[in-house]
Amino acid sequence: MSIIQPSRPVLTRRRLLQLSGLSGMGLLLGSCDSTSIAERVGAKIDPLNQRVEELLLNPQALVPEFPISAIEPEALLINTFDTTPNLDRASFRLIVDGDVAQPLSLSLAEIESMPLTSMVIRHVCVEGWAAIVQWGGVSLRELVRRAQPKSTVRYAYFESADGYYESWDLASTLHPQTILAYQKNGQQLPVENGAPLRLAAPIKLGYKQSKWVTRVTLLSQLPSKLGYWEDFGYEWFAGL
Amino acid sequence: MTTPQPATPKKVPVPKQAILAKAFHWVNILSLLLMMSSGLQIYNANPVFGGRAGWHFPKGLLLGGWLAGGRDWHFTFMWVYSLNLLAYGLFILITRRWQQRYISSSDVKALRVSQNAKRKTYAWHRLVYTAIIPILLLAIASGLAMYKPAQLPWLASLFGSWQTLRTVHFITVPIVLGFTLIHSLLAFRVGSMRLIRSIFVR
Repeated sequence: MSIIQPSRPVLTRRRLLQLSGLSGMGLLLGSCDSTSIAERVGAKIDPLNQRVEELLLNPQALVPEFPISAIEPEALLINTFDTTPNLDRASFRLIVDGDVAQPLSLSLAEIESMPLTSMVIRHVCVEGWAAIVQWGGVSLRELVRRAQPKSTVRYAYFESADGYYESWDLASTLHPQTILAYQKNGQQLPVENGAPLRLAAPIKLGYKQSKWVTRVTLLSQLPSKLGYWEDFGYEWFAGL
Repeated sequence: MTTPQPATPKKVPVPKQAILAKAFHWVNILSLLLMMSSGLQIYNANPVFGGRAGWHFPKGLLLGGWLAGGRDWHFTFMWVYSLNLLAYGLFILITRRWQQRYISSSDVKALRVSQNAKRKTYAWHRLVYTAIIPILLLAIASGLAMYKPAQLPWLASLFGSWQTLRTVHFITVPIVLGFTLIHSLLAFRVGSMRLIRSIFVR
């Protein structure tokens, strides 16, 4: 192949026009700023991406944890959509209800007497940052078992004291490292991190991990309101 | 761009490019533009350098309107970008182009000892376009490690810390942009506009 040609190292008029055409295309793409186009693009791909995420999720396998020395106390940023509710620990009740045979209403003392699940995991925010954190609490699997869900249950719906709400697929909810945490980095969970109870799991993005959780409802159908950020356009499954 | 050039003498042959090589270039450039502009939108949600207080990219470079929109574009065109690269990989494997079209020991020798300027330029050209392939793959590997760090922990741990992982994924952007410039300039020196046109048009 003789593609070696004498070089003409000048910017020809034709070349200049082609380059300006390319940068014009960039400008055009850059101005496709409309969120609605992005939403339509996302809606097209989301069923495929969700299938892949469900296939990747191994509902039984533990995500490898980090040593205590790897904890990054300063890296965990505080994100709240509205207010920081101060809940009274003495009168606090966690409700577990929905399509269950045995609805629960648990005090903090009852929850803390249940088996403790402690894990050092990476908390990943949709914004791109991450922090290695220790969370300790009760596994959702244990709570769901005690509530005796009907066989039709497919989802868990989490309500928070600040009005935040989230829905999860059942497989992720029952993952052995999905917990309602009352401990962070070996201490009692601070209120800005969601005390007295918050969701924590290595398998979902941070916005799935509701703080100040007061009610867990097990559902057979997905509700129309999927989650606070999802209803603005964030991805629902949000698996890691 | 498709208009025939009467000025071009017939004796200079127009390089023939395989249709799949042309398709790869088109799809690669377009999907990379979408990946970069949506990627910068995601970057801006929490800059890799400096966090929330860090420098943000200007809005004109961003795709998607906001973080969720940027992610919509990014996690759609990741498929186009990766499958295009996979198809191209299969193409060079099946046609055995990998044996002839990439940097070889004779190119390395030419770079070291050749007195022929054209031969050296050609060797540089082959070296540069060969070197971009691992970078394109690195963009996928680092992106996948950040997308599914819990399910692919072995991949995420290859990069060490999360900050290193983010940095590696981000710097594939300036590397690819720099490569595109150098690759175009070398292609121009090797075969002038005829060669560049041949990979996009005819």
